[in-house]
This record gives sequence, C-alpha cells and structure tokens, in this order.
Amino acid sequence: MWRVRNILQVVLTFFLWSSVFRDPQTEVFGYNQEKILTYVFGILILRAIVFSARAVDVAGEISNGDITNFLLKPVSYFKYWATRDIASKALNLSFSIVEITILFLILKPHLFLQINPVILFAVFVSLILAIILFFCLLFITNMSAFWMPENGWAAQFLFIVIITDFLSGGVFPLDIMPVAFQKVLYSTPFPYLLFFPLQVYLGKIGGPEIIRGLTTSIVWIFILITILKYVWAKGLRKYSAEGR
Amino acid sequence: MQNLKKYLKIWLLMSRNSFLAVFNQKAALSIFLIGKIVRFFFFFSFIVFLLKGTKSLAGYNLNQTLLFFLTFNLVDTLSQFLFREVYRFRPLIVSGGFDLVLSKPINALFRSLMGGADLIDLVTIVPLTIATFYVANLLNPSILQTTFFVLLVLNGLIIAAAFHIFVLGLGIISLEIDHTIMIYRDLSSLGRFPIDIYKEPLKGIITFLVPIGIMISFPAKAIMGLMSPAGVIWSLTFGVLVFILSFKFWNFALKKYTSASS
Repeated sequence: MWRVRNILQVVLTFFLWSSVFRDPQTEVFGYNQEKILTYVFGILILRAIVFSARAVDVAGEISNGDITNFLLKPVSYFKYWATRDIASKALNLSFSIVEITILFLILKPHLFLQINPVILFAVFVSLILAIILFFCLLFITNMSAFWMPENGWAAQFLFIVIITDFLSGGVFPLDIMPVAFQKVLYSTPFPYLLFFPLQVYLGKIGGPEIIRGLTTSIVWIFILITILKYVWAKGLRKYSAEGR
Repeated sequence: MQNLKKYLKIWLLMSRNSFLAVFNQKAALSIFLIGKIVRFFFFFSFIVFLLKGTKSLAGYNLNQTLLFFLTFNLVDTLSQFLFREVYRFRPLIVSGGFDLVLSKPINALFRSLMGGADLIDLVTIVPLTIATFYVANLLNPSILQTTFFVLLVLNGLIIAAAFHIFVLGLGIISLEIDHTIMIYRDLSSLGRFPIDIYKEPLKGIITFLVPIGIMISFPAKAIMGLMSPAGVIWSLTFGVLVFILSFKFWNFALKKYTSASS
C-alpha cells in the first residue's frame, strides 16, 4: 500500500510539471520538459534506493525495550539494521521498477537518458554516499526515543517525513528556490540524498561541482557518524529497559 | 431540535475528552503542530517560487493558485478535525469493542465518525481560514461569489464526511481502515493544485468518481467567478446524493457486523 501512495505522489508531480511544460520548448529553472519529467521519475527510483529503510523501527525497539535482546547478543546493532535496510531497498527497488514501467507505458513521457559512463559512475558513488547519509540521519532521529520514548515516531515524522523529504528535493527540485537559500542548503547533508545524485545524472552540474558535492557528502558522513556514536553512547547510559 | 442539542452536547463532551488526552502528550502535540506548519510553509513557498518563474499554472495566476492550495488545506484540515475518530475505528472492530458503542443510547455512526475531534487541526483552522479569506479577497469576489464559496466548502465537508462513512462501512466489512483512509488522503491531496493540470481520464475521475474537484477545486473556482449558479446547484445536489448513499452503505455494512472477538 505504501507503494500506491508513492505512485499517487508521482502522478501529482508528473501532471503538475507536465502542465508547466505543456509547450515542449519551454525552459524554466534550467529544466526542459524532458529533464523535469526525468526528475519526477528519477525521484521514484531514488526514494526506493535511499529512503526505504527498516531502521524506522529502531525508535519502537528502544521505547518498548526490545533493544535489550540485541544488546545482549554478540552482533553489531548498526550492522544488523544496515543489513535489513539493504533488503528493504532491494524489495522497494524491484517494486519501483515495475511501477515505473507501468507509469511509463501509461503516461508515455519523454525521458532523458544519460549515457556518459563517467557521469553514471559519479551517480553511483553519490547514491552510495546518500544511502550512508540517510542511514545516519534516520538512526540519530530514532535515538531520540532514548530521551522521549513515547515520541520517537513524532520526531521521525517531523525530521524525516517532512524536513528531510522536502529539503532533499523529494517533493520538488531545489533549484526553483532562491539562490541564497540553495547556497545555505548545499552546506547541509539534505540535498545530497536525492537532489544531488539526480543533478549529476541530468548533467546539470560540471566536474568540479560533482567533486565538491561528493566531498561535502563524505565530510557529512564523518560528522554524522561521530554524532551517531556520541548519541548512541549517551543514549545507552540513559536507557533503562522500560517494558522489560 | 432537542436531539440536535443533545448531540451537540455529546460532541462537546467527547471533544473535550479527546483534547485532554492530547494535552497529556505535550511534546507530541508540539512536534506534530510544528510538522504541519513546516509542511504548509514548504508547499506555500514552492507555489510562490514556482509561479514567480512560470507566471501561471494551467492558466491560473499566483493568487488563484494559492487559493486552490488554501482551499485544499481548509477542507482537509476541517475534515481531519471533525472526523479524526475514523482513524481509531479498526481496533474497535477487530477487538469487538464496537459492541459497546452499539449498546449505548447514541447513534453509533455519530460516535464512530465524530467521537474524537483533533486538537492539532483545531489550532490551525483559525489562521488557515483567515489566510484563505485574505487571498480570496485579493481576487475581488462579489457577495454572490463569496456565498457560493462558503456553500461549496460546506459541500466539500459533506462529501468528505461521506468518504469517511464509506471508509467506516468498508472497515466493518473488510476490517481494512488504515490503508483506505490513507489512499483517500492521497487522492484528496491531488486537489492541492487546480484539477485543470490533470489530463483526461484522470481529470474526469477526480472530478466525478472520486469527487476531489467538487470538494476542493469548485469552491476556489466559485470565488474566481468560474462557477455558474447551475453548476453550484448541481455540485450541492451531488454532495447530498453522495452523503445519502454513504448512509445507505453504512446501514448495509452494519448488518454485516459479526461482533467477532467480543
């Protein structure tokens, strides 16, 4: 059912942008019809790769005490969830490929096909970094349950479902926003989740910007892993195994 | 009249209980409220920046597009405020707890539909209404157009109520509520922008079959003078018919209730 919801969102944005780019010659915000529709379809795939994660359940495990079972076992809690995330991504990706095929056959959009192998490799690297970034962001948000066990899911709603989704370009391309806002946003980890990989794919940014973007992603990964370790250590000290 | 007073009193009592329950979770209340405001702000900014670049969307200018968006939010928030209890209906059916609702001397549909008004939505209704009327006023509507707008928003609420009743009925028959209501919400979110952006057959489907257009786009169009009196009367008739149909479906579904698990 969550896939149906994804499709409806794609349908909304597809028709919205189709309406803006009714004339194929129109070019707004640096996009033409072909590139903006590729963005809409690309978001469906990238959401499946980057945003689908089972680690959303971590807050629940902390609040009901189930995390205790894992703390007693000789397994890494982070690696355990990373493995489950990979399985979830594979499942969602396979669904999204079927959905895209069906939507493509129904809507018949003109899509942009990137064939430059160097750019495709850069997209691949940016996606790997995006997956790690999202994993860290999601885990840190979920660990808020150590301090407010009943509201871990509320924090997730605010930080992941709304703020991360919008600021990563999941709802609309970020380059329609004012340049000053974009500059600030580029210094945060959010655009590197969906927007940046898609910009690379669409060939909208050149080599130096790609390298700068990848470097910023790596720097953010280090910062977030440090925060993650710190919050985890603090959280475990706070954890009192309620519900057990 | 006596009956109406009784049900108003019951609704106030149930709403007060619901508000008290939410007040006990102040952190969650604050986070959700912030979330709703942030989401609204993001969409609002998106429309403003988009229309600055494109000048129009499906032939509508910035203020007109904003009115569609605000009308969507107004109808959506009002229906969320009034009909939030629907989201809590499934556990009642699954556990058989619905028996207790049926045995009480109040209408079971009323209790299931309007038994838990949402405080978070209530907080946002006033500023949203002011914003909607402010933007509507920028379009210089006549008194008749404003009357049509109010009537059609009320009609939108009647259709939203009918949708929720259908979901409740389906819940009794199939035990499925959560996904159905979320699909309804996603479909209604298609009305966030003018329905004119959609192509046929989708445009026809969301105008007549799942009447998002009548619920959300028609009130905004009435302010812009794009609705004839005949169109307004037709929409109101449609709303009443859908509402009656939902009642019939509820009565049908109620006969299927098996009181399992109780």
